[in-house]
Amino acid sequence: MSASTYDAIVIGGGHNGLVNAAYLARAGKRVLVLERRHVVGGAAVTEEVHPGFKYSVCSYVVSLLRPEIIRDLDLSRHGLEILPLESTMTPMPNGDYLARWADRDQTRRELYRHSPRDADAYDDFGSLMYQLAFAVKPILEMIPPDPTSVSVRDLRALFRLGRHFQSLGAQRFHELHKLMTMSAADYLAEWFETDVLKATLSASGIIGTFLGPRSPGTAYVLLHHYMGELDGVFRAWGFAKGGTGAVSEAIAASAQSFGAEVRLESTVQEVTVRDGRAVGVVLQNGDEYAAKLVVSALDPRRTFLGLLDRSHLPEDLLTDIERFRIRGSSGKVNLALDALPDFTCLPGTGPHHRGAISISPSIDYLERAYDDAKYGAFSRRPYVDMIMPSMIDPSMAPPGKHVMSCFVQYAPFALNGGWSPERREAFGDAVIDAIAEYAPNLKDIILHRQVVTPADMEMEFGLTEGNIFHGELALNQLFFLRPTAEWARYTTPIAGYYQCGSGTHPGGGITGQPGRLAALKILGKLK
Amino acid sequence: MNAPYDAAIIGAGHNGLVTAAYLARAGWRVMVLEASDRVGGATKTVEFAPGFKVNPGAHWAGALDPSVLVDLQLHDAVTIIPADPAVFAPTPDGKSLVFRSDLDATLESIRSFSSKDAERWSRFNALLDRASGLLNVLYASPPPEFPAVHLRDLPTLGRAARYLKKLGRREMMEVLRVLPMPVAALLDEWFETDVLKGTVGASGIVGVMQGPMAAGTTAVLLHHELGGAMGSVRGGLGELTWALAAMVRERGGEVRTEAAVGEIAVRQGIAEGVVLEDGDEVRAKCVISGIDPKKTFLDLVPAASLGSTFLSRVENIRFRGACARVHLALDGLPTFTAAEGDQHVLRGAISISPSIEYLERAYDDAKYGAISTRPYLEAVIPSLVDDAFAPAGKHVMSVYAQYAPYHLGGVGWNAAASQRLGDTVVDTLTEYAPDLPSKVLHREVLTPVDLEQRFGVTEGSINHGELMLDQFFFSRPVAGHADYRTPIHGLYLCGAGTHGGGGVNAIPGRNAARVVLRDRAKGWGSRLRRQG
Repeated sequence: MSASTYDAIVIGGGHNGLVNAAYLARAGKRVLVLERRHVVGGAAVTEEVHPGFKYSVCSYVVSLLRPEIIRDLDLSRHGLEILPLESTMTPMPNGDYLARWADRDQTRRELYRHSPRDADAYDDFGSLMYQLAFAVKPILEMIPPDPTSVSVRDLRALFRLGRHFQSLGAQRFHELHKLMTMSAADYLAEWFETDVLKATLSASGIIGTFLGPRSPGTAYVLLHHYMGELDGVFRAWGFAKGGTGAVSEAIAASAQSFGAEVRLESTVQEVTVRDGRAVGVVLQNGDEYAAKLVVSALDPRRTFLGLLDRSHLPEDLLTDIERFRIRGSSGKVNLALDALPDFTCLPGTGPHHRGAISISPSIDYLERAYDDAKYGAFSRRPYVDMIMPSMIDPSMAPPGKHVMSCFVQYAPFALNGGWSPERREAFGDAVIDAIAEYAPNLKDIILHRQVVTPADMEMEFGLTEGNIFHGELALNQLFFLRPTAEWARYTTPIAGYYQCGSGTHPGGGITGQPGRLAALKILGKLK
Repeated sequence: MNAPYDAAIIGAGHNGLVTAAYLARAGWRVMVLEASDRVGGATKTVEFAPGFKVNPGAHWAGALDPSVLVDLQLHDAVTIIPADPAVFAPTPDGKSLVFRSDLDATLESIRSFSSKDAERWSRFNALLDRASGLLNVLYASPPPEFPAVHLRDLPTLGRAARYLKKLGRREMMEVLRVLPMPVAALLDEWFETDVLKGTVGASGIVGVMQGPMAAGTTAVLLHHELGGAMGSVRGGLGELTWALAAMVRERGGEVRTEAAVGEIAVRQGIAEGVVLEDGDEVRAKCVISGIDPKKTFLDLVPAASLGSTFLSRVENIRFRGACARVHLALDGLPTFTAAEGDQHVLRGAISISPSIEYLERAYDDAKYGAISTRPYLEAVIPSLVDDAFAPAGKHVMSVYAQYAPYHLGGVGWNAAASQRLGDTVVDTLTEYAPDLPSKVLHREVLTPVDLEQRFGVTEGSINHGELMLDQFFFSRPVAGHADYRTPIHGLYLCGAGTHGGGGVNAIPGRNAARVVLRDRAKGWGSRLRRQG
């Protein structure tokens, strides 16, 4: 055992682990972050996989990073710069396209071209979503109360929650209820008639889930697109200068400035438990570190089953964690390009190259992509959301060249027959084919390609089953049920052992919120 | 002019008649108006070929709320024959799963597939009982008008809280956790046998245009768990509604058939009666509609008397009929390979639900507007337990089939599509009972469009609106109006499209009657609170 004892050891240098460490260090605690890989960031990393081309290997857009975190940790000073993605363009099979631009009037004209009714509805829809995002915000910012508890703290929190819902008024409360329970397709059908608009909007509801746009529960994520606006950012989706890894690096730099240590290539093998209390960790290489408490930023499966001996855990928790659903559903294709893809619907270079381009021509298209995955195949015609970071930040690629980040769904972790190098390439081909239908020059301009399957995400980035959210965002796995009913408040049955990853409230995406809330919880106990 | 009735009730389906019976029992002068030539709505028994009868709507009477049976003394009026075995589910490889009233026999059947599943069966059912028990508590009264909590809702909330508290911490959280789950995910947590998961999971998709992998289907399963044991009514389900109509008449009420309501008379925001399609007027102190909310508000109420928000909410209620019926007059009993000559196992439901994937694929077809290539079927042979259904030596088979989308792609429903549906259903059954086609004397197919026309239900939706989480509890039929009252004073709803509804359970009928009685006891005062 090393002579020095840390106040806290954080396992996993993903963005939540780093946020957690930074908050603890900021409060004067002596903190050590242990990261398995040679680089911080977890799934939020930038890597130069092919010389000169930098990929945001997994997570590729910054959407929901909480502004209070940016402020508290002074991330701008530590190099974080978020550049807005200015548009979303969806090419259509008939050679047309649907675009939404930075300029509101331009978007309105564009929507009007497809449907005057939808152009009108779009503004109303936007302002309702804005209000509802505002209504949800306090819930995402609270440590979930325990509805079975009669403790003063929990009762007070439940009462506050009840009051909050009452303060929304009937109309907004019922809209929120609809969003939580309806499918994106059904909810959008109440608003719009243009299929390609509904499809592109609903695509944000299926990202990271193992659900189709017609599955109940997908409407809620529509709100996420509007969350960013609350904080005065132009759009929810932005791109970090230097790639997503720059977000992690800024947080790590902030944590270090508060005195936290970050140790790379340090794989934790086990959490040391003595008399029911976490007292440190043992690394794979045999090194041991002692600490007053240990925080895991890994997903719930790994946090409980990977790092602890089962004998330390109650039977109920083992049951709950085993049935916690973590089915990975997405893949990533990163391309190094010799030139820009030329879209038939908008020939040449244009402003659409600076935004997101979405292969989501119809609700049926997305739903059929899901159907393939339901039965264990990757989508023959997948949903693809792509951006070209080199258009916004030229440092991402050599002069005149480009990188393109393609988020792809669906690629089930449990692929029939399992993932193999051949199936990985076949999946990559399906993605290129799907895009090439709209940008025929694509195949000729690819210099390199990196295909990341859910199996790769598990192997490389330690995401169980390749699930980017550390567990499905389903109603039965949210809020006071995330990751389990008993342990949804960042604590665990082991004293001094905490959780702070996306598998805890409020869940996945680069929000930093689980890391922050866990730190607040810990600091409340660590006076 | 005659004195107004105390209540005019639109539609003589089981819920309308239950409301009427409760009101008549309280001494009210009620008038029930039924558009078709006989009472019963979707709860009736009809002769579809000479000598051959079926229950063309619901198969079973088991869901009936026990309190209604007691309150209205229905036990004296109708005989319920328990279904035993309740379910016979054949598999494509010639085996079968059989649920019987005898637990040991059921366990033995499950054990023939998996002893692990047999071990878990009782604990699983205990969980279902606990979770559906919560619905039972909630269905006992009108739902709270969330997010506001009124004084009058405190007893309901208190009962629910006490119920949950009594379960203990772990079980309480478990009930809350499973409620919004996909039924497929729930079953995966418990069992490994495909046909077991398919057959239990099928209850989670009944009447909804969703597959078993959709969130909210566990709630549908729990809803169908309520009531008593599965059983049929001697003489047919129509006996139940006949008995209710007789009860209303005995107490001085009137039940008129072939009396289609054309309009609800609304003056200054108050319902004053109804105008029949033939021009007759029926004045009443209140009007209670047992038909679905879309038909009630969009067809019968002058649009000007409803606000635009309310109207758009009603327009947005999803109906999406998902099922069809096929009736077969049979020359003899078909031979199910898996029954091995044991006719007895065919006395309950014959469920074609070999796996969750089978159900989900059936849904896949329907979501793109096609009839399922291989649909989920629940067939019954009522003539096996009741001579009233077929001539001696003959049999009748009545098949509930899902999915048959109301919004059929292509040219929509026509004779050819109806024929295709009938063939699909018979072909599917023939895979399990090869001699079936040779026994068919006559076949009747009721497409969702036929169901819409025959039962007067929008889009042929058997539950009067999809029973999914967003159209459930305080948002059934629409948010803010789940307490059986409507924006029009004196107009109430009592059909399956309201809280507690879906299936033949009589809960909406009972609850609506209680609300109406309470409002009158308060001098109709409380209904005025809705003004503006």
